[in-house]
Amino acid sequence: MTVSMPSSVDETLRLLSDDPAATILAGGTDAMVEINYEHRRPASVVSLRRVNELATWSIDGGTVRLGATVPYVEIMNSELAAASPGLAQASRTVGSSQIRNTGTVGGNLATGSPAGDTIPVLAALDAIVEIASVRGIREVAVVDLIVGVKRTVLEPDELIVAIRFPVASGPQEFLKIGPRNAMVISVASCALVINQAERSVACALGSVSPAPLRCGDAEEFAAANIDWTSDGIRITDPRTLETFGSMVADAASPIDDHRSTAAYRKHGIAVMARRALTRATTS
Amino acid sequence: MSAKIEVSFQLNGKQRELQVLPSANLRDVLRGEGMFSVKFGSASGETGAAAVLFDGKLASSDVILAAQADGHSITTVESLNTERELHPIQAAFAAVGALQSGYSAGAMVLGTMALLEQTSDPSESEIRDMLGGILDRETAYVKPVEAVKRAAAVLRGETVTGFEPMILTPLTDGKNAAIYDAKNKPPPGSGAVPRLIPSRDVPEMAVVGKPEVKVDAVRLAKGNPAFTDDIEPRAMLYCRLLTSPHAHANIVDIDDTAALALEGVHAVLHHKNVARIKYASGGQSWPNPHPHDQVSFDTKVRHVGDRVAAVAADTIEIAEEAVRLIKVEYEVLPAVFDEREAMLPGAPKIHDEVDTEEIFDADKNIVHEIKAQRGDVEKALASAPHVFEQTFRVHQVQQCPIEPHISIAWIDEDERMVIRTATQVPFHARRMVAPLLEMDIKDIRIIKPRIGGGFGAKQEMLLEDIVGHLAKATRRPCRLELTREEEFASSRTRHPQTITYRTGVDDDGKLVAQDMYVIGNTGPYGTHGYTVQTVSGMRGLSQYNCPNKRFHCDVVYTNIPVPGAYRGYGAPQAEFALEAHLEDIAIELGYDVIEFKRKNWVTAGSVIDIAPHLGERAVVDGELDEYPIVMTEGIEECVAQAMREIGWHRRDDAAWREPADRPHIRRGLGFAFCMHGTAIPFLDMGGCSIKLNDDGSFNMLVGATDLGTGADTVLGQIAAEVLGVRLEDIKVYSSDTDMTPFDTGAYASSTTYISGTAAMRAAEVARTRIKERAAMLLDVEQPCTIELRDRRAYAPDGSSVSMEDIALDSLHTQEQEQIMGTASYVSPDCPPPFAAQLVEVEVDIETGQVTVPKMVMAVDCGVAINPITASGQVEGGMLQALGYAHCEEFAYDDAGKMLNTSFGPYKIYRADEMPETVVYLVQTMEDSGPFGAKAVAEIPKDGVAPALRNAILNATGAAINDLPFTPERVWAALNDK
Repeated sequence: MTVSMPSSVDETLRLLSDDPAATILAGGTDAMVEINYEHRRPASVVSLRRVNELATWSIDGGTVRLGATVPYVEIMNSELAAASPGLAQASRTVGSSQIRNTGTVGGNLATGSPAGDTIPVLAALDAIVEIASVRGIREVAVVDLIVGVKRTVLEPDELIVAIRFPVASGPQEFLKIGPRNAMVISVASCALVINQAERSVACALGSVSPAPLRCGDAEEFAAANIDWTSDGIRITDPRTLETFGSMVADAASPIDDHRSTAAYRKHGIAVMARRALTRATTS
Repeated sequence: MSAKIEVSFQLNGKQRELQVLPSANLRDVLRGEGMFSVKFGSASGETGAAAVLFDGKLASSDVILAAQADGHSITTVESLNTERELHPIQAAFAAVGALQSGYSAGAMVLGTMALLEQTSDPSESEIRDMLGGILDRETAYVKPVEAVKRAAAVLRGETVTGFEPMILTPLTDGKNAAIYDAKNKPPPGSGAVPRLIPSRDVPEMAVVGKPEVKVDAVRLAKGNPAFTDDIEPRAMLYCRLLTSPHAHANIVDIDDTAALALEGVHAVLHHKNVARIKYASGGQSWPNPHPHDQVSFDTKVRHVGDRVAAVAADTIEIAEEAVRLIKVEYEVLPAVFDEREAMLPGAPKIHDEVDTEEIFDADKNIVHEIKAQRGDVEKALASAPHVFEQTFRVHQVQQCPIEPHISIAWIDEDERMVIRTATQVPFHARRMVAPLLEMDIKDIRIIKPRIGGGFGAKQEMLLEDIVGHLAKATRRPCRLELTREEEFASSRTRHPQTITYRTGVDDDGKLVAQDMYVIGNTGPYGTHGYTVQTVSGMRGLSQYNCPNKRFHCDVVYTNIPVPGAYRGYGAPQAEFALEAHLEDIAIELGYDVIEFKRKNWVTAGSVIDIAPHLGERAVVDGELDEYPIVMTEGIEECVAQAMREIGWHRRDDAAWREPADRPHIRRGLGFAFCMHGTAIPFLDMGGCSIKLNDDGSFNMLVGATDLGTGADTVLGQIAAEVLGVRLEDIKVYSSDTDMTPFDTGAYASSTTYISGTAAMRAAEVARTRIKERAAMLLDVEQPCTIELRDRRAYAPDGSSVSMEDIALDSLHTQEQEQIMGTASYVSPDCPPPFAAQLVEVEVDIETGQVTVPKMVMAVDCGVAINPITASGQVEGGMLQALGYAHCEEFAYDDAGKMLNTSFGPYKIYRADEMPETVVYLVQTMEDSGPFGAKAVAEIPKDGVAPALRNAILNATGAAINDLPFTPERVWAALNDK
């Protein structure tokens, strides 16, 4: 095994071009587990620890640009938390403090696990993933990045360099159900993003399907039934909240597995979606 | 193999250039450089035991390549060890009893360093967030949190006082129930401080009963090389196991040609080249209960994770590669996992071999049938005015010591086999491994160094035979450490059971008959199957008075990973069912739940009549002349203190139960009455020897195995009390089968009581001779008039001589002799500790999610020899018990492969998730125990599950009879009610 420690994106891309089979190591919280367990025995590893430009973020106008290796702890504790409260909430539920010190959103996306905590939030934010290779940069929506369980559209020589999404313009919520709240692969998770400027609602689910799932009908229903005012948003009819919950649940097609039955997952999603919208419209 | 690469980084402030393999992780490289505080807990980093500061941030070195450290700064606890004195952070961990096994102490100390760099006065939630990255099965994080607060205060320049228990006045007369008064509020103060209710029967003592700092605190706080893996013999080989991918299969053929051909491979062992010698792996007294249904390597595998072969090679990587190269042809057989299905006609026969004797009914997979009866249960049930029947199912969990099983074996210069191993039972392991290695017991030496938690998983002869075989085959030292996956699937677990109670009650609310039928799932091997289920019977039928009792148990083979000993040993299963069953009966009959149990629970003078008819030395038939009697109990005081602490009146407060601002939340409180045993009477034996040194100190050798429990400290305190010296004057060594006296080992809540009495008696023998020599030096006629205290011997006239002078005189001056004492102890008694366990719950009635804000346990453990370590035992026990009740669970696919073999998917409680816990120690003076002690280690495992279940019932009206209380199970129960 060889280990490369590039210090720039360009150098990283050249390495990946020369050796597309290389394993990319960011925080290491996913990839190193596989290396240690030898599920995956890479001949070569490219460590991103020295690629400082990947670990930076910026807020430009209404857009957040999050470098792929910004650790969760940074998202929780910097101005990013105000710019993206939903992502900050999801980051808080990732692993333990040690994992949050090193784990990254880019790694979460590249792994493409259905249970990745930040993925539903990014899906609801309509986040765009900047993917680079020696051939140039391409952009892919988060919902299109992940195509199956731990399967993405990333080519072997490609690197996620950043994720872009709009600065919050309204309430954002992230909820999940598990045996307990944290450090558990959730039975189901739900992200809700309300954009007051555009008067739109976005809702995405995690852990219920191989790829992150958006709930279009429910989103339109909620947007149509929210009382959009200049000093906040309200839902006057409690039945609207219930209906929204069941519409989100209908969008999911959960399955029975060893963690949970489809029936419970569906019920849990309805409750979470309703609660997310309730919180968002009463805060 | 890859060539090494050079990395350059700052290690504890010094620039280091190292040659490392590209694939080497930082943990292994740091350990190779002598940073022993960095520990292995799992390869995936989630135990946090391998934490380091990476550029000042706490990070797990499991998931960092050594190559990635290039150009960075790495800090370990060793950076603090420049002085003999402890750093204030280390001192704080020692002072408050935050170190039990201390396996993760290094990580916790480092995390504290990093946190206190950021803020000098961290909040509780900041502290818990930091500790949340370091899993701990022992302390429940209670005292570590306290240690961080204390360290912060010290570093801010504040003065801190000694960490001592809070002494409270009793609420009862020691016998009768107290009248509950909602206005009487519990005393305020940190939950880390044990509340101690002294008994007037307990005399004042100098060392016993005091919050002494543990004798091993320094070595643990510094991360010194104390554990099995911290010492490597030269030319050591690394071993790996090949385990079964199938739940049930015959091994048709094994071909090791390719594995043996791999360069660096020294041995590949399997059923074709290791003698077939039958044994049972449970670490128990001779003769080990039948059936002896295991061999080192069998021709058949009986669970996913079962042993197939073992490899010894120059490196772990080569060993792993060799394991992959072993070709095994399996004939896959149908498998069965549920104990109820395993007994049915047509179920696959798991033990069809001809050479296993004494399986009760191999065709039905019934390994043992256990029966015991007092009175006539059927007759009593037939005439009882109220009869209740209820069935409970309890599930499989794992002990999860953060240090996995690890053993290192080598053949010494005298051709003897030395095995340094993480075991709770060194003497049993020596006796049990000898025949498998075809060696004599006298040619085997077992060394038990420091153990990173065991909880019963290490009451087993698990790896010792494998490393022994490999050391014999290679004539090189051989090391085998389980991975976390193997720790789950290939070590030991808790027995699942299906428990049915039938109970008859008269019109006064008195129990007239109790019938308990258990189907115990012992997996594919008997190991502790017989004894664990007998303890279920004993605990399930002892704590309530009832004239007619019957226990019937079928212990059943299945194809799940092997259940064995787990702290509590059958009691948590039984007490969950019992306390839930009686709760429901009380409600059905309209009684207050505590009042109903009080009508029936045992009190001082009650006869425990079924116990002698169950167990390894059971009286199967006939009557005994004498039955054990409860001599001491502080039950009512426990109940009164615990009720006050939790605020029991809130059960009737509608506004609290249904908070207006959180309409989907229901709150409740639950109670469980607990009783446990103290050691196995007539069976458990401990030995101790003590000798006096030149400076008036003593070496104390004990066979008892401290796993982090504080046994060395407690035994030292007992000896110090007898000898009139300080704890620091007693140098405790445990255990080494060549050096220390025999001890059955650390299990069955026996160490303080059995080994403690041995320590007391050995000290008394030495004391007698010390007094004689002191009398000579002081010119006193009667040595018995001499008193030992404050490191001196006093004559009645007040004249005195120091222990040092007595020692020098005896060793160097006149009629020289070595003053020493050796003693051992086995008890005819098994005095039960008692406890009241209370749990507060919040249930989300929409999702079924359960949250536990607070747990209170008030324990009567006699005299706590050390109230700090005793309360630590209770706290850690409650953590494990809460995981059992709430979130820990083996998940399998249909073929019997465990799916959640890592922490995270297998969920254990973390620091930032633990409820508030408060521990009360209610003193009683148990005359049969050393200085009044009874057991404390296992009883905290017994009450949490039923108390939580009863709290959920109180909150929501849903009675749940299966564990654990996952959101879905609770939600389903809410829908069903």
